[in-house]
Amino acid sequence: MEEIVTRLKNAVINYEMETIADLAKEVVDSGVDPLVAIEEGLAQGIKTVGEKFGKGEIFLPELVMGAEAMKAALAVLEPAVPSGKHRATLGKVLIGTVQDDIHEIGKNLVSTMLSSNGFEVVDLGVNVPSEDFVKKAAEIKPNILAMSALMTTTMPRMGEVIAPLKKEDPSVKTIVGGAPVTDVYAKEVGADGYSGDASGAVDSAKKLVG
Amino acid sequence: MSAVSYGIARGIRFQILSEEDLDRIHWGTLHILEKVGVQVDSPTCRKLLKENGCEIDEKARSARIPSHLVEEALSKKKSAITLAARDRSYDARLDLNHSYMCANGNGAVAVDFETGERRNSTKKDLVDSTRICDALPNVHIHWPMVSSTDMPASVVHLHDLEASLNNTGKHVMYETGVTLEDAKNLTAMGYAAAGGEKEYRRRPITSCLQCTYAPLQHDAGVMDASLEFARNGVPLVFFCMPQPGATGPASLVGSVVVGNAEVLSALVMTQLSSPGAAVIYGLGIAPLDMKTTVRAGGSPEHAICSAMGTEMAHYYGMPSCVGVSGTAKEPGIQAAIETYTGCVGPLLAGADLMCGIGLLEDSSCLYLEQVVIDDEIVGAIARLIRGEWADDETLALDVIEKVGIGKDYLAQKHTMQFLRTDHFMPSLIDRRSEDTWSTTGKKTMRDSAREKVKEILGKHEVKPLSDEVNKDLAAMIKKAEKPMWGGESRVE
Repeated sequence: MEEIVTRLKNAVINYEMETIADLAKEVVDSGVDPLVAIEEGLAQGIKTVGEKFGKGEIFLPELVMGAEAMKAALAVLEPAVPSGKHRATLGKVLIGTVQDDIHEIGKNLVSTMLSSNGFEVVDLGVNVPSEDFVKKAAEIKPNILAMSALMTTTMPRMGEVIAPLKKEDPSVKTIVGGAPVTDVYAKEVGADGYSGDASGAVDSAKKLVG
Repeated sequence: MSAVSYGIARGIRFQILSEEDLDRIHWGTLHILEKVGVQVDSPTCRKLLKENGCEIDEKARSARIPSHLVEEALSKKKSAITLAARDRSYDARLDLNHSYMCANGNGAVAVDFETGERRNSTKKDLVDSTRICDALPNVHIHWPMVSSTDMPASVVHLHDLEASLNNTGKHVMYETGVTLEDAKNLTAMGYAAAGGEKEYRRRPITSCLQCTYAPLQHDAGVMDASLEFARNGVPLVFFCMPQPGATGPASLVGSVVVGNAEVLSALVMTQLSSPGAAVIYGLGIAPLDMKTTVRAGGSPEHAICSAMGTEMAHYYGMPSCVGVSGTAKEPGIQAAIETYTGCVGPLLAGADLMCGIGLLEDSSCLYLEQVVIDDEIVGAIARLIRGEWADDETLALDVIEKVGIGKDYLAQKHTMQFLRTDHFMPSLIDRRSEDTWSTTGKKTMRDSAREKVKEILGKHEVKPLSDEVNKDLAAMIKKAEKPMWGGESRVE
């Protein structure tokens, strides 16, 4: 059992995006607890990859390949987790790019960085209507709601989401980012956190759930 | 792509002089050599030139050199020269497809890394800067950056070579062989470090850069030493340095003619004495700044002259060694502009060897921080001149098709592959966001450079010469030590 979990971990470390799903099926068939496989295998693997990236030993595409491998395996393992049980994470993050804005590369990087650092990330994609953020938050109860905007014309959407969200559930923390967003603007719209880059977003999120 | 992996691969070249311009400079130079000639202070060299048909004026110590002698010398010259290194992976093949960078050399002043005091340079400064150059990816050839002025005056240059050979695996080029005796001692040390004369002649791990004197003069000691080096198989660079407006015509091309006459006449003497000797075409022409009386190192004129010098060298089928420097007094914006300007022009024109980076005050003062900053600048330029091409792999049509519309390329294997070859990865340039930068101390590039210097000095190891070789070198240095200037042999 341990051997196959180690193989799963190494498959993330070696970015085996194409073959890891087969390995995950093997895990399920072998009767290993999928939660153990996720926590001891996938999470440990992506943690190693994330640490290497943090130290500057590997580059962003490698981190993303590691995250892609993890995602592919999670797609197989998560449905096999018995209902009522949940994998341990640092917290749940709901993320998306605001309405009228289709720029997503930065948001995707933040998603990758957060998931490789132990967060569970639910990504709503781009051009997300403000009311959809609030609705989805009510449904999945995230610890953090994260939003990005690349244009000065779309940044005000952030405030449009934060005000009703906080009214509904004051315990949800919010972080914002994107090229035109500054720490001053983040405060203006009532966000709890801000970061100028993807790595900083992880620190910011950790502070908010810590 | 070339199979040679050391040095800067280059696939871009811009042209300054047309074929006609090059012809006119060449013919103009032949005209000057025949009509005006050059001053040759060495009686040995004058005799050699006289025996081969030059018209000699013994009183003026000058020689008029007929064109056919220049053409003959050019037919005997060596085109492909390899500057071998103690560590073979650092062999620098001057092959017209690669550029190599050298740190600047023989400054006499250093700013102390710990105290910030500006003082005379020491052997310790040389050891430290040599280890740093050994560690840097964009310094390919080593030139002792400063002189060991704390050593006995008569043997400073021998200490310089000893410290260099022990602290880098890269090829060592010096410019201190200015007498016949120097040439003999420096050759002997090179032979010892290479494992004997036979091995050295096969793989010369040292070379000597010799300066001619503008306008149109050759120092006796320098030329006697040069002929000795050529006999001994030590590769030479003849490096001309007229200053447009002062020791050369103010028009840059006119100064190139003066410098070209100096280099070609030195080549004539060398090839007459040792046919087939390895000679590199050297040129470092920077104007005299007419406001300050300081040489304008790192000026656009300096860069464009080094580019033209490279074009002249290639016109003759010779590798070039051209200059860059800077007049800044401390690391910072001016130093960066001067290094960048001075390097980018010649490298775009295909300079084979450039000397050199890292010294301030126009090749006088060592600041360790500047050495690592300049390495970064050269790294960026290396990317600029590599060249681009469209083939199946670079076009990436299959990858574009696979990713499709609206997705990203981050998780593609192609991305990782080309990241390694196509993207310059800076070591000092800080591309982090403002908030990350400001929360980690708002470090300037100079701060980062200091950290990098500390890290290299703390960690970088170089395999020294064997104890046996070092014993030989120490004995050679001891033997060469002699009283100078009123009998003092040692500055205590």
